[in-house]
Amino acid sequence: MESIIIAQMAVSGAFMGLVYALIAYGFQLTYATSKSINFGQGELVMVSAFFSLTLITVGLPYWLVVPGGLFFGAILGLFVERAGVRLALEQKSEGWILLTIIIGLFGFSAAENIWGRDDRPFPTPISSDSIQVFGVSITPLEISVAIGVLAVMGLIELFKRKTLLGKAFEAVSADRDAAELMGVSATRTIMLSYGLSGMVAAMAGILVSPITTVGPTMASALILKAFSVAVVAGLDSGFGVVLIGLFLGALESLASFYIGSGWREAPGLILLILALAVRPNGVFGKASIRKV
Amino acid sequence: MWKRLLLIRGSELVALALLASIPLAVDNSYVLGLLTLLAIYGILLIGLDVTVGYLGQVNLAQAAFLGLGAYAAGLSVSLLGFGIFGALGVSLLVGLVLGGLLAFPALRLEGPQFALATLSFSALTVTALNEWESLTGGAQGLHVNRPDFFGLDVNAQGFYWLCLILLALVWMAMRNLLSSQWGRAFEALRDSPIATDAMGVGTFRHKVAGFALGSALGGLAGGLYAFNFEYLQPQTYVYDLMVILLLGVVLGGRKSLWGAFVGASLIALLPNLLSNWLLFEVISALGLTVALAAGVRGLMKKTAKPFQAIAPIIAMGLLVAGGFMVENTENWRKAIFALMLFAVVVGLPEGLMGFASRFLARLFRIAPPALPAPAGLNTVLTAKAADGKALLELRNLKRYFGGVKAVDGVSMTVRAGHVHGLIGPNGSGKSTAVNVISGLYAPTAGEVLLHGKTLPQGSLFKVARVGVSRTFQNLQLFGELTALDNVMVALKGVYRSPLPLVLLGLAQGEEKRAQAESLALLELVGLKDQARKQARDLTYGAQRFLEIARALARKPDLLILDEPAAGLAHPDVNNLVEIIKRIHQRGITIVLIEHHMDVVSELCDAVTVLDGGQVIAEGTPDEVKRDPKVIEAYLGVVSEAEAPGAIPSPA
Amino acid sequence: MLVVENLHAGYGTSEVLVGTSLEVKQGTVVALIGANGAGKTTTMRAISGMLKPTKGRVLLDGKPVQGQDASRIARLGLAHAPEGRKVFGPLSVEDNLLLGAYSRLPLFFGFRSKAAHELERVYDLFPRLRERRQQAAGTLSGGEQQMLAIGRALMAKPKVMLLDEPSMGLAPVIVQEVFNTIRRLKEAGITLLLVEQFAKSALEVADYAYVMERGCIAVEGSPAELHKNERVLAAYLG
Repeated sequence: MESIIIAQMAVSGAFMGLVYALIAYGFQLTYATSKSINFGQGELVMVSAFFSLTLITVGLPYWLVVPGGLFFGAILGLFVERAGVRLALEQKSEGWILLTIIIGLFGFSAAENIWGRDDRPFPTPISSDSIQVFGVSITPLEISVAIGVLAVMGLIELFKRKTLLGKAFEAVSADRDAAELMGVSATRTIMLSYGLSGMVAAMAGILVSPITTVGPTMASALILKAFSVAVVAGLDSGFGVVLIGLFLGALESLASFYIGSGWREAPGLILLILALAVRPNGVFGKASIRKV
Repeated sequence: MWKRLLLIRGSELVALALLASIPLAVDNSYVLGLLTLLAIYGILLIGLDVTVGYLGQVNLAQAAFLGLGAYAAGLSVSLLGFGIFGALGVSLLVGLVLGGLLAFPALRLEGPQFALATLSFSALTVTALNEWESLTGGAQGLHVNRPDFFGLDVNAQGFYWLCLILLALVWMAMRNLLSSQWGRAFEALRDSPIATDAMGVGTFRHKVAGFALGSALGGLAGGLYAFNFEYLQPQTYVYDLMVILLLGVVLGGRKSLWGAFVGASLIALLPNLLSNWLLFEVISALGLTVALAAGVRGLMKKTAKPFQAIAPIIAMGLLVAGGFMVENTENWRKAIFALMLFAVVVGLPEGLMGFASRFLARLFRIAPPALPAPAGLNTVLTAKAADGKALLELRNLKRYFGGVKAVDGVSMTVRAGHVHGLIGPNGSGKSTAVNVISGLYAPTAGEVLLHGKTLPQGSLFKVARVGVSRTFQNLQLFGELTALDNVMVALKGVYRSPLPLVLLGLAQGEEKRAQAESLALLELVGLKDQARKQARDLTYGAQRFLEIARALARKPDLLILDEPAAGLAHPDVNNLVEIIKRIHQRGITIVLIEHHMDVVSELCDAVTVLDGGQVIAEGTPDEVKRDPKVIEAYLGVVSEAEAPGAIPSPA
Repeated sequence: MLVVENLHAGYGTSEVLVGTSLEVKQGTVVALIGANGAGKTTTMRAISGMLKPTKGRVLLDGKPVQGQDASRIARLGLAHAPEGRKVFGPLSVEDNLLLGAYSRLPLFFGFRSKAAHELERVYDLFPRLRERRQQAAGTLSGGEQQMLAIGRALMAKPKVMLLDEPSMGLAPVIVQEVFNTIRRLKEAGITLLLVEQFAKSALEVADYAYVMERGCIAVEGSPAELHKNERVLAAYLG
């Protein structure tokens, strides 16, 4: 019996872990082109989720809400790049860390006041009645999360590997100056990566909302774990985030079961600090050579 | 000299006296509360400024240290029955120890990774405070009783004076510390960690020390915070507070005690600003005016990019307009902070004090204190025995990067007192070889011996400590430090005072000696007259020479010069040759990597030629120049004059 | 085709170029020679937009392009094979070449077929690259990387090509090969501005040459004229 419970906890945790992986993947997208990430990504997830909820409330069908939410997320991503990142990158400073935090804080406050401080349910056509697989119950909702996460990541990876624009992403990340000389505008590539990253965050928001409900603080715990996943896997590791996401999701679910639900954030945070101490470039990341 | 001291110390004393006497003049508990908070935030922000300003890292953990310090103080009173000073000592210690512990993993990180590590630590702290209910009372909160002071009950006024005295002490100690070798090392670390290590200063211990120090002040402020409010809740120390603290540091101005103080007063006043609508509108209108004036001025003078000028105007405009549209500004607290912080970070990155100090310096024309006379060169660089014994030996040295064999079995001997040239085509392994010798890379195989003893491997710091000093092909100066400070950072054998003396400001004597010795080295490279200039404002040639002076400050047995003439104009190349000759005369052994064959011919006693990571020739400059292998691989088939840089380049 | 007038540029406070002027006529190879630090590479960078000139004009096909972003200038028909080759290490040889044609290919689909013809031409010019088309560019030897950098610049079908120190750090044998390639480019009618340390070899392929000293042009003329100039002969041609 014990083992069934453990399996159940691990499996439900792992589904959440996929959401962390998706958000972490959003960090990788921008890190690849610009070595920067949006520290306010959690707020972006949350605001996009609220926006999608509004679309539903207005009466839009679900299949229109998803593209609407994604589009909104992309716009927010572009805004973050323009307002918070571009200037700092031009000055080669780390001001973007502070600026993206600030923009996130503004988003949080705006959401609190526009949509209220309460958590609200997010209706979805997908059923949450569980089915039994080897004694472990899984809901179609959870499966939809898995499909959604993997589909989005797969599509973007396909785009990066198979289109010329995707190759331009890699070129900018390999050598920004040389890419410019080929006619690839680094600024636009970075913009695009932030747009995509915003879209990915919105997707995460739409996928996770039916499970967690929508509220201003819905993403504050989520984002810390996404940071953990991104750093532990390595900010340039591609699909490494999926493995680490699954692992961390299962781990925290078990931790909250055995130590207490308040401690569920702890494993991710400890893992992050440890990973940074032992392998600063992540488990799957590439080691860099110091040059002078 | 006296005028300067009078102005600077005088203004500090006047401010202190004013602050201390306010409660005597105004009997108002509300004002007193504000002042107390100001003193506490002052200590907190001075601590935060060590990491954010001096170490240049985005630190998101200071709010957590405030919380940890607060709980530590509260619990040591309620559980251990400590007095007020005992409790504050515990707060300080908790900050120091946990800060040190966090610094270890965070040590190797920079930029976003460091910020993430500190962010995780903050989140972990709040989780722990919330969940460890048996100790902290969890979300219920913890009541703290302010202990008495040797039997005397401490009233609000007395507590305020205590906070103020502590702020003054912290201020004094930090001023002494930051103007000492420690402060210079912190800044050096920010500008170039690699050079800091290579100058034997040790990024490791300074980063840990700086972070632990800042955290300890956070802890101390936390202790005071606990005794001020007498009620603690984990929720107080989260994200928002941290953003507000950063707002304080950035708005006040980084790397400035006054900046931290100004920032502290602003964030202490902020909540009141929001509760009064009229005041809020007046202040945001004021902000908008400043943003407009600064933006227009920046655009006209072309000192600001359009975004830098316009974005703060939009942010402040939103603030003014928002005040009219929103019913309760209190609800939009975070958004208001965000807009203000955004405008400041983008439009006024140097902060209020950074702006004001330039203005004040012009107004009062404060001359910096006079420099001492340079020390005699003989006392700074004692002559070494140039006895021609083997000083540096490489034995079958190898360094591979993946499949690339950058250095593939190099053996060579550098004799004491020689100038030993190391030449070869691009990519032949010269730079990798000296990077292995100086400890930047660990060798894949082989040995490096100095004075017959194995050199430490893979640590710039340790190699620098045993007497090897180097310059860098791509300059690694501490750009924001002056030329003099660049040399002083590296200076060996002068700084001996223990930390307590430094904190008390009793290490002035050695500071003078360090200046005198450093000036002697600057004189040697012809930069004595530019000692006060920031390194980044020096001409390219002067920067190259400054690196040499800085490397000499290590008083090395072996000096490695990595392409010192690269990019130098013709007259500077001649100066360089003269400088190297002067260094040579002092018996210092030199390894010289250089492309200018005539420089090599003129200076070197022996030359080793590398190609493809291996030694292809060795001998005197004339011998290697005639060597057919060298002509083929490096000098070129045409003739000597065809070799790259054969002409003393008239750039 | 390419005209540079009174160009000033520098890094931070130090000015490297102080009024460089030169011209590259269509279908010619022009060499830019000079000592280390004379400003040759800076000239190239200021022309292609990697460095913003502080003063002066750059005309590409008669149109001023100075001050524009490097990516925009590249799209207007200038290909710059930079010093140090700068191939995209993690990407395959073929991807490197395709990116060379970035400005004239569709961004999503069908770019491969559209680039096929040009790709074949480059592979014919450098058969070694065809052999290694799927290999990561970073694993090529220095000489092969240089071929790739030239091939990548050719993929853009540029109006003008800038070639900065193609022989840098290469073994003498490979250097010969590089110069043979440049000769073939010349025969194919490519307009080329070449910066070289090996001045003598550069003059052998060039139609016209400029000698740079201290950030501006000191001497100019046809190779034959420069060979008659005693100072140039002594200082650069041995």
